[in-house]
Amino acid sequence: MRNLIAFFRRFRVFLIFVALQVIALSTYFTFLEFPRSQYLTSASYVSGSVLEVRNDITKHFNLSYNNDMLQRENTWLRQHQPTSFQKLQGHTFKIDDTLFHQQYLFIPATVINSTVTKLNNYFTLNIGYRQGIKRGMGVFSEKGIVGIIHNTSEHFSVVKSVLTKNINIDVMIEPIGLFGLLKWDGADPRRGSITGISNDLKIKKWSKVVTRGGSGIFPRGLNVGHIEKLRPVEGKPLWDVVMRYTEDYRTLQRVYVIKNLMQAEQDTLEAAIPEDKEEE
Amino acid sequence: MNEILKHSIRFVALFIVQAFILNQLEIGWGIQLMVYPLFIMLLPFDLGLIYLMLIAFGMGMLIDAVSNTYGLHTSSLVLFAYLRPIIMKIFSPRDGYEKMREGNIFEMGTRWFVYVFGGLLAIHHFWFFLMEIFRLDELFFVLQKTILSLPLSYALCYLLQALFISKPKER
Repeated sequence: MRNLIAFFRRFRVFLIFVALQVIALSTYFTFLEFPRSQYLTSASYVSGSVLEVRNDITKHFNLSYNNDMLQRENTWLRQHQPTSFQKLQGHTFKIDDTLFHQQYLFIPATVINSTVTKLNNYFTLNIGYRQGIKRGMGVFSEKGIVGIIHNTSEHFSVVKSVLTKNINIDVMIEPIGLFGLLKWDGADPRRGSITGISNDLKIKKWSKVVTRGGSGIFPRGLNVGHIEKLRPVEGKPLWDVVMRYTEDYRTLQRVYVIKNLMQAEQDTLEAAIPEDKEEE
Repeated sequence: MNEILKHSIRFVALFIVQAFILNQLEIGWGIQLMVYPLFIMLLPFDLGLIYLMLIAFGMGMLIDAVSNTYGLHTSSLVLFAYLRPIIMKIFSPRDGYEKMREGNIFEMGTRWFVYVFGGLLAIHHFWFFLMEIFRLDELFFVLQKTILSLPLSYALCYLLQALFISKPKER
């Protein structure tokens, strides 16, 4: 027993060092997988408010550009309003139709903190579960998809962006309908890559990449990017597809969070698929 | 000036510079500037190592909390604090550290500062990028980030000292 105490006394400094390292690194590595604690993230109340003050100062830097973009989007939306169409057939159609059920709702939000240079980049939004944000909801901007909600607190939430190593969103190459998984290599915030594309299919350069909408997180057909380069993967019949994002994540400000009203329905249906049996 | 007040002001200033300016910069090529180890470097020589590490832990956690890194800065800063006395012992001046007040570049001389602070900062940066990427097959990328960021961080630390620390009078 005395030896043990003597041991602790002798290596006290080193043991404290090891303990602090273990706390720090375990926080880091567990957060990548499971967002457990909210006290030490930018979703917490204190640092969330500090970042909001900073954003209040810096948000005006791009104000005129953002206004232009919003105005352009408004024009586009207004053009698709029923009021801007001429009725050709009198009273034969109705807007509030039972043929159309609302599936997606969009909640507007502002990005108050973001990074693009790290290996795993998270964005902080100024809304939280009070506004109905839940883990696993999709986030997109006017020009392209942004990411998936990773963690929420009362008034803030953290988005796991597409600039994260294992983001794995299912995307589709537009004219041929081929789909693969979206990845990011951790270096260039303007380019991502798509894996799982077989090399016997011809893909045109600059063809459009959109979301597939398979998991119900994103609706089908949201912009993601354009194909920039195709490179053969050595030893596999696959293309390594380099894609340029349509959104520039370095200047991202206004985003929309997607609420899928039919998510539970899709999940229960898909949960009923029988598991693949092991080889018999 | 009161010592505690001086160090508190440095703490707040370096925290703000790191969290709200340097962490928001995107220079490219994987460069990330980190100047907050300067605070740990400038703490008094006779401060106990345990206190040093606890201060480093607290500061790292604060920076992590606002930059969404959850423990990365903490881990590298605690390592920096732990290694500070060891490296200082290797490069200790002839008559020890008793007469010196703090480890800034004017007090201790450029040569000493390059060896001690440069070495510690290199270990800090390397550890930070190694833990961030955490894959041995991308060791080249880790080295690229470290080698590109290190001179810039060091130059910025030099600049901060040149601007805000008064030089001792000519002896």
